[in-house]
Amino acid sequence: MPGVTRLRAEPVSLVAAGAVTPFGGDVDAFWSGLVTGGDAISMIERFPVDDLRVGRGGEIKKLRPLPGARRVRCRATQLLLAAAEDLLARSAISAAPERIAVVLGTALGGVGELERAMAPGGRVRHAVDALYDSPAHALARRLGARGPVMTVGAACAAGASALGTGADLLRADVVDVVVAGGYDALCRFVMRGFDALRSLTRERVRPFDKRRSGLLLGEAAGLVLMTREGATTGPRLGRLLGHASASDGSHVAAPDANGRGLELAIRSALDEAGLTPADVEFVSAHGTGTLVNDRIEADVLRRVLGRRAPETPVNSIKASIGHTMGAAAALEAVMCLMAGREGVVPQTLGLEEPDPACELDHVIGSPRAARPRISLSTSLGFGGCNAALVLEAVDR
Amino acid sequence: MSVSASPRSAETARREKRVTGTAVQAVAVLTGWGEGIGALPPDAAGAAAGRAIIPLGRPALEGERFRRATRECLLGVAAVDALLRENHVSRDVVKGSSTALIYVTGGAYGASNHAWVAADTARAAESDTRAGDKRRGAVAGTLHFPYTAPSVMSGEVAIEFGLTGPYGILIGGAAATIDALWQATLLLQAGRCERALVLAVETFEDCAELYARARWLVGRPLVEAAACALLVPGTLRTRYDAPRAASPLETRARARAGETLACAPLIALALGREHAASGSIGVTGEWRGRRAGLYWH
Repeated sequence: MPGVTRLRAEPVSLVAAGAVTPFGGDVDAFWSGLVTGGDAISMIERFPVDDLRVGRGGEIKKLRPLPGARRVRCRATQLLLAAAEDLLARSAISAAPERIAVVLGTALGGVGELERAMAPGGRVRHAVDALYDSPAHALARRLGARGPVMTVGAACAAGASALGTGADLLRADVVDVVVAGGYDALCRFVMRGFDALRSLTRERVRPFDKRRSGLLLGEAAGLVLMTREGATTGPRLGRLLGHASASDGSHVAAPDANGRGLELAIRSALDEAGLTPADVEFVSAHGTGTLVNDRIEADVLRRVLGRRAPETPVNSIKASIGHTMGAAAALEAVMCLMAGREGVVPQTLGLEEPDPACELDHVIGSPRAARPRISLSTSLGFGGCNAALVLEAVDR
Repeated sequence: MSVSASPRSAETARREKRVTGTAVQAVAVLTGWGEGIGALPPDAAGAAAGRAIIPLGRPALEGERFRRATRECLLGVAAVDALLRENHVSRDVVKGSSTALIYVTGGAYGASNHAWVAADTARAAESDTRAGDKRRGAVAGTLHFPYTAPSVMSGEVAIEFGLTGPYGILIGGAAATIDALWQATLLLQAGRCERALVLAVETFEDCAELYARARWLVGRPLVEAAACALLVPGTLRTRYDAPRAASPLETRARARAGETLACAPLIALALGREHAASGSIGVTGEWRGRRAGLYWH
């Protein structure tokens, strides 16, 4: 962009992570599920789906009881609090309450509560829990955070923007600690929506495969504890080097046919990180398994990576746990950092015969031994949202 | 491999101009009281005369693309259009990747959510005798579902004005709008855009019975609104903090406009710009017990 200076941003530390996913109630279960090729897709049992074309998804079957959780009705809030328990078990938060921020991405907040409120016999006061920012405030109360509490509503790209916003808060010295991430819960509201749009597959989710026929949804929450570089002396997961977003400005429910917004977001995130495409060692793709999205994303990645495209590993974890919407980018960021730390890149479940139109160095069949230090994570969402994160893993 | 900054040529660095400050170039306001701050009554509570909600009609925008768009989307488009028109800014100026769009709302997505749930409730009440695939998934208002995502609201605005730059989408009341204004200043100062539109939209009428039960959360009268501010590089530095008390502008905006949630700080900006000849201005906003402030000085 002529006329203005792009400033290289200071990296921020990602100290620890917490998660609850269809694989289980913590980050360890998430990671082991991925590297063992686990498939957490099942029939949805928590609400009626028998009138829908597709009733499968990445449903969390069991949540650990949490202190005080009996008072929490909202499923999305329950997931967030469970992820926070995992995070707090791994790293204490030590900062003045007003210097702790909570920044969360979500597609639909606590919207399941609106269904309950409007159901026969439902209580209208429950509708307040359906506000998309209600779960973030519940988490802030749980953490005792009194700094900014932000909810990013960028649909399925929201988790990436939440981590980026958290980094901005730290760089600007607004706070000392940020708990950032994303979440979304499965409910009839969202299942009906994607089912009606014919986005859900009746088959297996197969990102970038010739036979891909759609996505399946999942529910999860993923959180990371972020601090300024140098503020922590103990172990950490890695660093966020750059982030960016760009609008397609072309369609409300489909990506730009040429992927212009995604390409701009990726290039801007690399620019902010002070890196070039040649520095990228691994790509965590959005990879939903839908016909159009995967082709466009592959086109963009080939354009950006250039000559390095055939030798840069790419994966998608959405066949393993479903598309977890607001949680997806946060979980994928954690996966990138774990891959760099553990020296293994999880495979793309369901990908058996890559579509020639999606040609990339896909991780197929089994995890790949690799220790990517610099990762790129891409996300897309309704409304023409595109976001990218550039992450750096650190050794154990 | 080592991680290092990509090299910048000295020539590039010389050509580029460092942005050190920002300025609010323009603000446009649409409310249930009318267009512009001139339409605001001196006392919203008195002017409401007991009405809980002061509605804002569906803008009469032309074009096939707007046939299915929700009212809140059209209000967003109308607010940006008003800002450009009133300030003689061409659409070509904002078009492209150099303009950021930060959208904020406390609950404008509620109308779409309400309609989507109501469609399911209504369908369940009907006997559906169709068989097989024709029955499964055949839901009233399928194309309505994407509008339950707030990002689609800003997406419609991006499509209409050709905005392909950075975006932000924040959910919350007035404090979230302060956060959005702050994000806009960051984007400008980091060189991620050349101008930023901060847009807020609030509608209440479609969920009137729900808001009627949330008096602890929102004040009265609830006034539907759409407001937009244009921020550009400037000479003023900004301070973003958490004040304990409402600024005079926050108090004035609430008294004159009523409860407009996320639109309130933009209405306050418009009111403040009437008298702030130097450009120095500060706005605050509160939501769910958190108050945030942004000051240009």
